[in-house]
Amino acid sequence: MADRRPLRGPGINTFQIDAARKVHARTVQARIPQAAASAASERFISPSPPTTSAVRRLVPRHVCNSPNNPPCASCGTMIVPSPAATLPLQDCPSMTINNWTISTRKKPILNSQELEDWENNKLKGLTLPEMIFGNSYVRIENTLHGWTLEFNALDALKQVKLADCGIRVSYSKKWMDSKQQKQAQRSSSPTEFEVDDSSLKIAHHYDWTYTTRYRGTEESKDQRYKFTRDDTQQLPLDKLSRPDHILFYDDMILFEDELADNGISILNVKIRVMDERLLLLNRFFLRVDDVLLRVIDTRVCVEFDENKVMREYKEMEGDYKSLLANHRISHSHDPKAALRDSNWVAQHAPVVSREYETLNFD
Amino acid sequence: MDLDLDVPMHDAIEDQPVTQDEDKNSGNENELTATTTSVDEDEEKDDFKPGSSGIADHKSAKPLELNNSNINQLDQWIDYLGKCQILSEDDVARLCKMAVDVLQFEENVKPINVPVTICGDVHGQFHDLMELFRIGGPCPDTNYLFMGDYVDRGYYSVETVSYLVAMKVRYPHRITILRGNHESRQITQVYGFYDECLRKYGSASVWKMFTDLFDYFPITALVDNKVFCLHGGLSPMIETIDQVRELNRIQEVPHEGPMCDLLWSDPDDRGGWGISPRGAGFTFGQDISEQFNHTNDLSLIARAHQLVMEGYAWSHQQNVVTIFSAPNYCYRCGNQAAIMEVDENHNRQFLQYDPSIRPGEPTVSRKTPDYFL
Repeated sequence: MADRRPLRGPGINTFQIDAARKVHARTVQARIPQAAASAASERFISPSPPTTSAVRRLVPRHVCNSPNNPPCASCGTMIVPSPAATLPLQDCPSMTINNWTISTRKKPILNSQELEDWENNKLKGLTLPEMIFGNSYVRIENTLHGWTLEFNALDALKQVKLADCGIRVSYSKKWMDSKQQKQAQRSSSPTEFEVDDSSLKIAHHYDWTYTTRYRGTEESKDQRYKFTRDDTQQLPLDKLSRPDHILFYDDMILFEDELADNGISILNVKIRVMDERLLLLNRFFLRVDDVLLRVIDTRVCVEFDENKVMREYKEMEGDYKSLLANHRISHSHDPKAALRDSNWVAQHAPVVSREYETLNFD
Repeated sequence: MDLDLDVPMHDAIEDQPVTQDEDKNSGNENELTATTTSVDEDEEKDDFKPGSSGIADHKSAKPLELNNSNINQLDQWIDYLGKCQILSEDDVARLCKMAVDVLQFEENVKPINVPVTICGDVHGQFHDLMELFRIGGPCPDTNYLFMGDYVDRGYYSVETVSYLVAMKVRYPHRITILRGNHESRQITQVYGFYDECLRKYGSASVWKMFTDLFDYFPITALVDNKVFCLHGGLSPMIETIDQVRELNRIQEVPHEGPMCDLLWSDPDDRGGWGISPRGAGFTFGQDISEQFNHTNDLSLIARAHQLVMEGYAWSHQQNVVTIFSAPNYCYRCGNQAAIMEVDENHNRQFLQYDPSIRPGEPTVSRKTPDYFL
């Protein structure tokens, strides 16, 4: 498989790179257990009692719940659930630490039957985004107190407003004006095909940017367990920045729309679970080319030993042109590349609002 | 560094390693920092002007005639491209010049006879295109009609469009390639083809040649006077197919007007003409499709442009069909792809297929674990 190919660009010595293959190979490799993989799944269950020791445990205390889980951290390597290399893609990994169970599910986009149901019933009035991973989710559950926090596409899309969001694509005015002119010309020559007046107005309004302020779906058997707001606090960034071993990692898209090639609207959720805590990031990213950029982040951190959930919600938004001007220095080759990078945008766009909440279980 | 495959490939010049060590998969990210590629940073936008590639500077007054020598040349290229290898820049220039002399003589509404196999978006998924030819039968034994969107999104836009153009020049009466909204200078700069050309050729010249060539692609086709085929959909400015014939199509896809609508519009459940809440772009209802088919004595409008899980989808009570031929679109949607065969008796049959699974090829794009914050 010689993929090194000299290219004949003028005076440039380079090789074609197959980045996709490389990434895939790395992913596959990450799933291969380093220890002997002959043992059955019971092997991964460890009855060791929970302790609060900051020292890395010699015996793992977590439990892998799915028989399809690749062997995990202390038993083999970390759990990086990945769909099997065949279709249909589906993956439902799960693990437990103390009374906390973390599970994810990944399936393909909705089929036409499901779409029809969502369009006519579940999300009536919304023209659905192009890609909906409607059967996928990330779920954090406190099994002792019957409390769950789940991130899924349906609940996220329920928060999309069925009203005019006021945003238009950059060339909208030009487009509308030209239609109106043609309309005027046409009405003077009645033999031609006519577009009636009403067609020049937007008949059906919904937030076509699919902006959602979704913070997850909460379910609780006990009404006592509710988030308390306190914006003065911060996530424990010092602890989260530590390179603690990742036991479980997943990353998935809940919905995506290319906005008819006018940018992107995407809701992505990722999670990493370490021995003492987990971090989840649910990010909505919107780019309307030449108009605006918006990032809405919900971060959830769970401290397993303290039985404490922290949730931070942050909205960032910036004008396309001023953000573009902002990073010209750092991105010389392709000035727009940074605007496709939600991390860059999240760091550089002005914060519009922030909220912080905590929830303590006894 | 995070190679984010969930967004169109970008920043290729800065991000890509220059050597590939596929067999070892060392996973050593440090090597990703080295680069010898350089691109003229001051490349002025003037160079991006239509026609700057020069491929259409010496157009022939009559269609390209194939002789032994250029047939050999084309067969060689097709052979090479079929292995997912790119042509040299000089060969792309030669190919595009030949293609101009084929495509410039095609009509805006290209007449096509049955039997023919009609295909939708491919989006640079080269191996799935090869799968398509395996499913539908090899060209030229099977006649093909592609309804646009060959580039962007997938990892092999260059190989895909080179292959299809080479086939077009080699078998001009056996394969038809229409223009999609992605066959445009503006869109390809955002969604991957431009970056891919820079990455694979080290300069924008191949991108310029292809985008200049795209201006010559026909925009619609008419299968046996019964099935009207195009990338997007109808336009309120187009009542009859003759009106399409009058358009001047040799230009960048405009932001508005009938040519724009034909490449961009979508069918909708709501009747009549609708304007997207985005503030640009039309949707058309069943009444519009029925009227258009009636006026033009058509049985069907076949279009592409929209992702559908099953690879094809009927709308407007079978007045319109959407065909999408990129399985597992963007390597993550898990959708099937489809093509539509129309036989001598106008019977239609859909062939659905899954992505071609190849060792080393990503079935899904996924990131390696990272310490995100």
